[in-house]
Amino acid sequence: MSENETSEIQAREKAEVLTEDTRPGLLFKPDVDILEHPDAFVILADLPGASEESVDIHLEKGVLTLDARVAEPSGDRQTRYAEYREGGYHREFRISDDVDAAGVSAKMRDGVLELRLPKSPESRPRRIEVAAA
Amino acid sequence: MNSFLRHATRSPHPFPSLARELQREMSQAMRSFDSAYHGPRGVYPPVNLSESEEGYVLTAELPGVSPEDIDVQIEGATVTLSGQRKVEYAAGDGVAIHRRERQSGNFRRAFELPAEIDLDRARASHKNGVLTLELPKSPALQPRQIEIETR
Repeated sequence: MSENETSEIQAREKAEVLTEDTRPGLLFKPDVDILEHPDAFVILADLPGASEESVDIHLEKGVLTLDARVAEPSGDRQTRYAEYREGGYHREFRISDDVDAAGVSAKMRDGVLELRLPKSPESRPRRIEVAAA
Repeated sequence: MNSFLRHATRSPHPFPSLARELQREMSQAMRSFDSAYHGPRGVYPPVNLSESEEGYVLTAELPGVSPEDIDVQIEGATVTLSGQRKVEYAAGDGVAIHRRERQSGNFRRAFELPAEIDLDRARASHKNGVLTLELPKSPALQPRQIEIETR
């Protein structure tokens, strides 16, 4: 119906994570992009409202767990209209043995977390020299 | 506008799915202006609006969008939020995409607030991917204590 090519983003409701958890507060599953470079995996996660300090990354037994908390809304304001809910984030990923756990790094900007999971040297693509026989 | 919408849904259309999509898009455009409507689906970015005596606070989740890519216009009681979300990462030779959930593209939304905004005191801030608009109400609308003069 629209012939022009400008793409419009469609919003989706946040997917709530149901966990057996005694801590209060909502948890949502963040949108992620997962890329594989020749030498590393990169995970980008949308964590709007979460600060760097509140992000917790844990890698154990091949499972990468990502948790983040969002500050409680403050003030005496009345909510008049809400299209999204606020809450923390939680997501788990199965990580292959190829990953060098000690080399995992993370950085964050504008609510987006970028996780870099380098592959261990043995699993990187290697160029095999062919010797003349 | 409303009469146009009704007409589009009643007239027989050679391509029914196209007619439904047109109706849905028109509905979404209309809902953006209707502050009493709760929870439209699919309109980006999702926003929350709260109110105190002094004014309104509008928040929008825009992870990965830098302030340079966001445009906020206020006219009277109408706030227009537009911009672009770029999801950029080095793609190319040797890069495989295993999962792609984060969307990119343009966005534009307009909101009709119940009261006029004091433009001079309106503020926009951006932190951790959340845009916050502080929109104080025009002074003329705020309740004021009137002192009783005694002679």
